[in-house]
Amino acid sequence: MQVNFTVDEIRAMMDKKKNIRNMSVIAHVDHGKSTLTDSLVSKAGIIAGAKAGETRFTDTRKDEQERCITIKSTAISMFFELQDKDLVFITNPDQREKDEKGFLINLIDSPGHVDFSSEVTAALRVTDGALVVVDCVSGVCVQTETVLRQAIAERIKPILFMNKMDRALLELQLDAEELFQTFQRIVENVNVIIATYNDDSGPMGEVRVDPSKGSVGFGSGLHGWAFTLKQFAEMYADKFKIDVVKLMNRLWGENFFNPKTKKWSKQKDDDNKRSFCMYILDPIYKIFDSIMNYKKEEYESLLPKLGIILKHEDKDKDGKQLLKVVMRTWLPAGEALLQMIAIHLPSPVVAQKYRMEMLYEGPLDDEAAVGIKNCDANAPLMMYVSKMVPTSDKGRFYAFGRVFSGKVATGMKARIMGPNYTPGKKEDLYEKAIQRTILMMGRYVEAIEDVPSGNICGLVGVDQFLVKTGTITTFKDAHNLKVMKFSVSPVVRVAVEPKNPADLPKLVEGLKRLTKSDPMVQCIIEESGEHIIAGAGELHLEICLKDLEEDHACIPIKKSDPVVSYRETVSEESDQMCLSKSPNKHNRLFMKAQPMPDGLAEDIDEGKVNPRDDFKVRARYLSEKYDYDLTEARKIWCFGPDGTGPNILVDCTKGVQYLNEIKDSVVAGFQWATKEGVLCEENCRAVRFNIYDVTLHADAIHRGGGQIIPTTRRCLYACLLTAQPRLMEPIYKCEIMCPEVAVGGIYGVLNRRRGHVFEESQVAGTPMFIVKAYLPVNESFGFTADLRSNTGGQAFPQSVFDHWQIFPGNPMELGSRTYTIVQDTRKRKGLKEGLPDLQQYLDKL
Amino acid sequence: MSQSSFSTNEAVSLEKTVSRDQKPMETPLEAIDSVYEIDKCAQWIKTNNFHNVCLQFPDYLLPDSSTVALRLEAKLGEKVYILGDTAYESCCIDYIAAAHINADAIIHFGPVCFSQTSATIPYLIIHEKHQLNIENLKHAIGDLKTNRLIVLVDTPYIHILDRIEALKNDSVTICSADKIEGLSSDQKFVFVGEPGRKLTNIVFALKPQEMYWFKDSLHKYVMDVRVLKRRNYLMEKIRDSRTIGIVIGTLGVKNYLNVIARMKELINLSRKKYYIISVGKPTVAKLANFPELDVYVMVTCAMNEIYDSRDFCQPIATPFDVEIALNNSLNNITFSYDYNHYIEHCKTIEGSGDSTECEPDVSLLTNRIRGADNVEDNCGSNQIMLRSDGTLALNTSYGAGFLADRTWKGLEQNLGNTEVEKATEGRRGLAQKYENENC
Repeated sequence: MQVNFTVDEIRAMMDKKKNIRNMSVIAHVDHGKSTLTDSLVSKAGIIAGAKAGETRFTDTRKDEQERCITIKSTAISMFFELQDKDLVFITNPDQREKDEKGFLINLIDSPGHVDFSSEVTAALRVTDGALVVVDCVSGVCVQTETVLRQAIAERIKPILFMNKMDRALLELQLDAEELFQTFQRIVENVNVIIATYNDDSGPMGEVRVDPSKGSVGFGSGLHGWAFTLKQFAEMYADKFKIDVVKLMNRLWGENFFNPKTKKWSKQKDDDNKRSFCMYILDPIYKIFDSIMNYKKEEYESLLPKLGIILKHEDKDKDGKQLLKVVMRTWLPAGEALLQMIAIHLPSPVVAQKYRMEMLYEGPLDDEAAVGIKNCDANAPLMMYVSKMVPTSDKGRFYAFGRVFSGKVATGMKARIMGPNYTPGKKEDLYEKAIQRTILMMGRYVEAIEDVPSGNICGLVGVDQFLVKTGTITTFKDAHNLKVMKFSVSPVVRVAVEPKNPADLPKLVEGLKRLTKSDPMVQCIIEESGEHIIAGAGELHLEICLKDLEEDHACIPIKKSDPVVSYRETVSEESDQMCLSKSPNKHNRLFMKAQPMPDGLAEDIDEGKVNPRDDFKVRARYLSEKYDYDLTEARKIWCFGPDGTGPNILVDCTKGVQYLNEIKDSVVAGFQWATKEGVLCEENCRAVRFNIYDVTLHADAIHRGGGQIIPTTRRCLYACLLTAQPRLMEPIYKCEIMCPEVAVGGIYGVLNRRRGHVFEESQVAGTPMFIVKAYLPVNESFGFTADLRSNTGGQAFPQSVFDHWQIFPGNPMELGSRTYTIVQDTRKRKGLKEGLPDLQQYLDKL
Repeated sequence: MSQSSFSTNEAVSLEKTVSRDQKPMETPLEAIDSVYEIDKCAQWIKTNNFHNVCLQFPDYLLPDSSTVALRLEAKLGEKVYILGDTAYESCCIDYIAAAHINADAIIHFGPVCFSQTSATIPYLIIHEKHQLNIENLKHAIGDLKTNRLIVLVDTPYIHILDRIEALKNDSVTICSADKIEGLSSDQKFVFVGEPGRKLTNIVFALKPQEMYWFKDSLHKYVMDVRVLKRRNYLMEKIRDSRTIGIVIGTLGVKNYLNVIARMKELINLSRKKYYIISVGKPTVAKLANFPELDVYVMVTCAMNEIYDSRDFCQPIATPFDVEIALNNSLNNITFSYDYNHYIEHCKTIEGSGDSTECEPDVSLLTNRIRGADNVEDNCGSNQIMLRSDGTLALNTSYGAGFLADRTWKGLEQNLGNTEVEKATEGRRGLAQKYENENC
């Protein structure tokens, strides 16, 4: 490892917070993030320049290098000095310390496969800017859109890089004008997404990317070259005697130059040419053409003209090897990208001003909030731990995160708050000393005394008190930093057990470690005692199982076939008033169930309707959007399961005595029943339960929890059974990219798997088609392989959980598909097989 | 005042169906002497010179009880007492009920469990008498073609044990199912009886190579893996819990006080809180009265079916689950519903077992952190609190904290908040069906 900076130098840089850039690299899978990142790392000097493009520095795991995909996000710190001439591009005083040319860039490379989106989410949280990498051949893809949308929602400023230009030239043989059109389209697509999710008048201002401003780069990560219009403008500035900034504007878009008259024009004429093609693409095309066609004389005269001086040992090369060397010498990728990053991405000082209100749950004027807003190293510590990184010490983790305020130091005592912490309570709160603060650089870690606000670092010794994420603070009244919202859900599950039953304790220990190390995976023991791992998709589970077997548990494991979790719902209102009597027969509950209107369950999932809302505001929303009766909507007793789920219990009674006294018991019964539905003990979803009447015994002792809780459950079960119960299944949204010939094969595969296509379009400028479809998760196992074999390996799907949908068929009807699912689930859970009997839950007066 | 204002129509009470699990059984009068072995009982009482004798019947045999008692009295010329409605399980000997009349002996009729009893007074067990097709059994044993076989005879067939013993030869041993101690497990077993909890318990105790059960025909016994898998869940639940309810479900099984003491000790060591609950026969309604408890541990006879029930609000664990969940150093005992199988082992490791360590840990039920000391308390108990509303302990995770989260806490006065209303006429009649409820 050749390091051209020391930890002490980095530590000194950390104080110059205006010169810090925290950024993530995001893109669709296989668009070349990691390769591009390596170009940056090579420039910053951690690995030798020649190896860039061949070693994937950030893919630290063996399987990542074998599969050539990134699975875990990796952080690297880099140091980069801007030249004086470039410093003028930084105009905001908060973007640069006076007299400091050096920049500390903390970069996080994250996975592109949708199954690992949670890693991206975690990366976005700790960074302020994002380098969006788009393969200029395939254009903007589903994952580009998903992560970009997330980035904008987190107030992360994007810059764009068009990757794989070498392919566009060598494989697609696009001519200059076509390539320009392609670039322009991608820029437009990206800006459309940005515009959709960003409010230009908001605190972040305009975040559109613009080649003429230099916030869009072009090049090839694999070959190690890249440029922005700034590089070319600088080359031509002297010749044209035009200021660099002005020239950049002229080198993009509808600007044409007539070489004969030396006149600029806004329109295309016969004898003028688009400036971008003429001054930028033509020279590149010439180099490509002459070198790839072995026109030695031509390129030997061309290279000096462009100011390219080859090293002696490179002179003998030819073909692709020479092309790489030439392009890399002429337009070094690191230089162009690092300039883009330093100039266009915000410093923590700038970013935290507008990010604070998105990050902090507490009052926006308390000490912590102000500390974050000002990125103040002397304010109380506020750090967000976004993920856990396994250490070489088995079972222990580095807590990786971002210091938003104050300083985190080795040995300091801090409050460690998990996601369930509420101020004033002790739950999920630990007060412990931080054993060590460390700097994380790809595969290497370095101990560091302390880390001030605006920086990313790792902590040793707090991992025991956090599961996946958390807030670290020294401020006693601090609230949590908001938990991250993932774009994917753990809908695919497998049951695991050790091959050797005696290894069970090791499996349990391994599951606990796995829970920590992945931002989203859930490892749980079901009531039946099965050990379940739930993940976003097959690939995600596959990686989790591999990690579990090889790293966390270190024992051979048996796994079940993947299953999906279902939800229980109703499709009509209960056909009768359901009455259940308490065991002492002295209390009676009268209730009904009905389906929620479309969209309400999703609103609850997304928190648009939630138990913490002011009940009047919530009632107004429900009555306006869903036509709920205003008085009833005000009397929502609770949400469930777990107090927040997408089912509600509404008090529709009039003048019932003692009703408030049994509320806690009814709520407890409701939580129980919605957590374990009547069909097969799956969670309920989108059901509204109404309490219409209640008869209670006059003596409190006869209407206690023991009488009411089990009765409520029985009554709710009766409500479900009389309201045409249905199962809901999770549905993926799939995006499949393939050439036109393969489209037919896709339809065939989707039809067999109950999927349906809702959009099909050609990617403009390419022969590729994009097919968008909905596919039940249940039918998705083996989908990728099936698709490949039916399209000659040309179609590659990206599936992400989209919504819940009613599984057609009545589960109470013998022989229906849903009946089978219910019975299978009951069997798996160790429940009595057969259908639930209404008479068990319903009583007569 | 007319009677109707106090009670509903008597027809309601008369026609009310009472749910019961087992139908009452009446033995023909001529069979009583042999089924209940009246002579043997009388002989036993006379020989031992007992004077206060209790006859314990399970609920479904109660119809026979008076006949049996009368016949015995006739033989003895002394009064005997009938014990019905056994406090816990009717398979266990009910010393407590017998103690009410200072009984000096108990005769137990009906199905019996193999739980060791905390015998304080002598007892005699009269088994049920079921019929068995011995020819079939003989063929079945022959079909097994093994040279080492043990036939375990369940209690209802003990009365024909001598006839079954006729099957005995070099490779077949006959043994009564209540005397299984010392049998080696590396052979085949045939259990003559029903494949219920009793057989499961025997399998847990013997861990036999192969187990068959015989009733009319021979079946291979397959252990229900769900029983053992369910332990995973319960143990995790116990580790997660902060408050555990210890339910007293027996007063007759040996060592029950020791087990309760052991449970208390383990729970204390792991810094959880417990409540001891004695509510007679536990039912869903009774146990649902304590929503602040996270899990129940039931100290009862191994035959109790309550462990398999899923109707309870909180899961019900066995003492074994608590032992394993909270005692990290113990891993050499295997599961049994009967705590007497392993209680000896627990004692020997007592003290050396360090279950106090509070390493924080991820729960596999909630995926949250559990079990660590929240805060290194330096401002803890000597802090002065403002006495305001009679609150003693808020912010605890135990009972008081639970109460604080409830919306209705009891009889608050809410002066000024509650509207004053005139008294109106309410419901009339009995709670079971009020007069204004018509349908």
